[in-house]
Amino acid sequence: MKPSRAIVAGMSALAALFPGGLSADPAKNIQAAARVLTFLENPPAGRTEIGVVFDPAKPASVAEKNAIMIAIGGGYTTGGITIVGKPMEAGAVGGAKVLFVTHGVNYAAAGSDARAQRAITIGSDFACVQSGACVIAISTDPTVQIVVNHKAAAAVGASFRAAFRMMIQEI
Amino acid sequence: MKTRLLSAAAIAAFTLGATHAAWAQTVDYGSLEALFDEPVTTSATGSPQRSIDAPADMQIISADDIRRSGEITLPGILQRAAGIDVIDFSVGDSTVNIRGHNPSPGLLVLINGRQVYQDTFGTTTWPTLPVQLSEIRQIEVVKGPNAALFGFNAVSGVINIITYDPKYDAINAASVQVGDAAQRRASLVTTLKLGPAVSVRLSGGGSAEHEWRAIFPTSQSSPVVPAPAIGGLHDPTRGQANLDLVAQLTSKSDLRFESSWSNIQGNVAAPYSYSTVKMLTTSVRGIMTSDTRYGLIQASAYQNRLDIKGDAGSVFWENTVDVANVQDTFKAGTGNIFRISGDYRHNHLNTQPVAGGEISYNVWSASGMWNRRVTSQLALTAAIRVDDLQLHRSGTFPARIPLASNSYWDHDIVQPSVNVTGLWRPTAEDSFRLSYARGVQTPTLLEMGALQEAVELAPGVTLNVTGNPNLRPTIVVNYEAAYDRQFKQAKLGLRLFVQNWSDIIGDFSGGGGLVLPPTATTNLAVIPANVSNSEETGVELTASGRLLANLKWRADYTYSTVRDSLFGAADPVANLVAFQAITPKYRGNVGLGWARGPWEADANLHYVGAHKFYNVVNGALAPVDAYGSLSARIGYRLESGVVLALSGQNLLAERQAQTTGLKAERRWQFTMSRAW
Repeated sequence: MKPSRAIVAGMSALAALFPGGLSADPAKNIQAAARVLTFLENPPAGRTEIGVVFDPAKPASVAEKNAIMIAIGGGYTTGGITIVGKPMEAGAVGGAKVLFVTHGVNYAAAGSDARAQRAITIGSDFACVQSGACVIAISTDPTVQIVVNHKAAAAVGASFRAAFRMMIQEI
Repeated sequence: MKTRLLSAAAIAAFTLGATHAAWAQTVDYGSLEALFDEPVTTSATGSPQRSIDAPADMQIISADDIRRSGEITLPGILQRAAGIDVIDFSVGDSTVNIRGHNPSPGLLVLINGRQVYQDTFGTTTWPTLPVQLSEIRQIEVVKGPNAALFGFNAVSGVINIITYDPKYDAINAASVQVGDAAQRRASLVTTLKLGPAVSVRLSGGGSAEHEWRAIFPTSQSSPVVPAPAIGGLHDPTRGQANLDLVAQLTSKSDLRFESSWSNIQGNVAAPYSYSTVKMLTTSVRGIMTSDTRYGLIQASAYQNRLDIKGDAGSVFWENTVDVANVQDTFKAGTGNIFRISGDYRHNHLNTQPVAGGEISYNVWSASGMWNRRVTSQLALTAAIRVDDLQLHRSGTFPARIPLASNSYWDHDIVQPSVNVTGLWRPTAEDSFRLSYARGVQTPTLLEMGALQEAVELAPGVTLNVTGNPNLRPTIVVNYEAAYDRQFKQAKLGLRLFVQNWSDIIGDFSGGGGLVLPPTATTNLAVIPANVSNSEETGVELTASGRLLANLKWRADYTYSTVRDSLFGAADPVANLVAFQAITPKYRGNVGLGWARGPWEADANLHYVGAHKFYNVVNGALAPVDAYGSLSARIGYRLESGVVLALSGQNLLAERQAQTTGLKAERRWQFTMSRAW
């Protein structure tokens, strides 16, 4: 066997042995989002409503919203808070102090609405936090990655504990 | 001085807490672990990090790993980590080092940051560690010199044992264990809330069992000789107690107080003869942690006391170590974390077996660390530490001993330690790390004069074995390249490393050392000397993952070669620096763990390549064949929460030659435990 073939064969075997790569997991993302809230300097306590922002015209956004709602179910409890989900169509957000922005939503508009209501925006799209529309971006596969936009956080009055800040990426 | 120091540290700590209490917040490992879905560490930089982000080669052994291992000792648990060399000389006497050069000083062992490594003697007596396995949150295994990050004595690596924090973790556990060879162990850990602001964890335990009974004198194929032929070994016993109290002074400001006690009897190899010793340790520590507008500030002070009694009163060492530390870790902007730190240490030991002298040193240290996130994918960390060791001796000398003036000890050793690491994570799955490290192994107090012996060779002819105040420190330099790949169901790791030791200090108690000829006014004498350099080059592979939902696996393999360079005519065997011969070329582990419902089953095969070691009878190098050591545990959880478990170690043979000393025996245990 030629060395190049051996390498290809070896890589194929490796890929078979260790399947998988990056993939979004809405359930894990919303659970991580709930835990992130407990690291706020003034964390919410008890029952906390999270608005799940979606675009009904985008199937991926709707699917992510549905997965999140299933994951939350009647409420997900961690660290002294219980989050409950409320679906909100983009452009009609209101009433929640925390918004989870699904993929495909016009995040600039959603971020603007959130700032007006001083709501914390969380998303799994890193472009959202890089643009400043989201305060927090979360990815959980293959490992948990959290990015916080410092200015966006300040704009809605959110600040995080020092220990948490040292473990995440701030931009 | 000691009292003043502790008082000053306590006052400083309370002042910090009072001034900035409103900002303070201690680190809750459990919450961060739950969020990041993996263990976190604060040890390397003072700030919480996941191990893969730490600027050091770190592996974390979790509480679950410990519980399911079925191991009954800390060295048994540690040998499951990649690249860890463990030599079990007896039931309770194990030497542990990172990637070879075992035994030699320099592996810093800590419990919650408190040193339990005995730098006085350059070793760790593992049974004296006052910790129950069920109260350990995680063990951090750090490879290579890390003094600039972890502190004084972190030369070949660090073992940092982190216990649960009574403020956050309500750990309650009890276990009773019996086994063959008259094994009896019991432990109790309980956490109490003393009002809304004070939490305390109390723990205690004890154990006893028969010593391994057989020994081989020259090789594995030689006839087995009963251990008592070596001379009156006693069965090991052990007892420990620990108190860990956290008082929340304000909503975010904590004062932690720890105190411990341990009392053991065991048979130690030194390293090619056995003797029974008794050790008593006590410690007391206070830590103030405050999260201020100026960063996470921590002030701590502790005292370790160690008494060692040898056979029939042959020696009685009394050692005291006082340490105080103040450090501030802060984040500047969005991408820079800094830590500045200052330490003071006082280490004191009496001379033995000829009493009359007192050896001590003060160490003043300053260190700084800068962690810079250059981009979202690239982070750089640089740390430097400078130690000024001020040596001192007082008291009398035996008649006709050379170097009989305390003024020889009045000098300083000033050395820098450095860690520089670059971490590049081009994707979420891949990370590359390049690191350079320089560590300083200062001579032990034993080597610098605490051992003071007079041996009558013949009527009127006396040999003095004593220390050398002019020893140079051993410098350890490490270069390492690391790659880690995270798959959905698995992890892979690759390490390439080169480590150089310069000015290694030889043993002087068994035929090595520098001979000082007799003069008209002094006896013949032997003192220790710097005798060699050594270089180790190696590769380490690690892999772990899940095959099925209930089945996890892991494997590691470390291959290394060592090349010694002796100074002049120094004898590597007599000086116990024959690392080229005694370091196995390969070692590793293969482990499987399965769990379903109330059942758990785990097994680990630890394998070590052929090598040589100093013969227990005559000191010459003797072969130790390659061996595999199997340990396993099977457990069942009853509906009441009680767990019944059967575990065992060295299961492949009734007696196995893992050293040139006592043969490791197969041992079984039955355990009944409950956590609530």
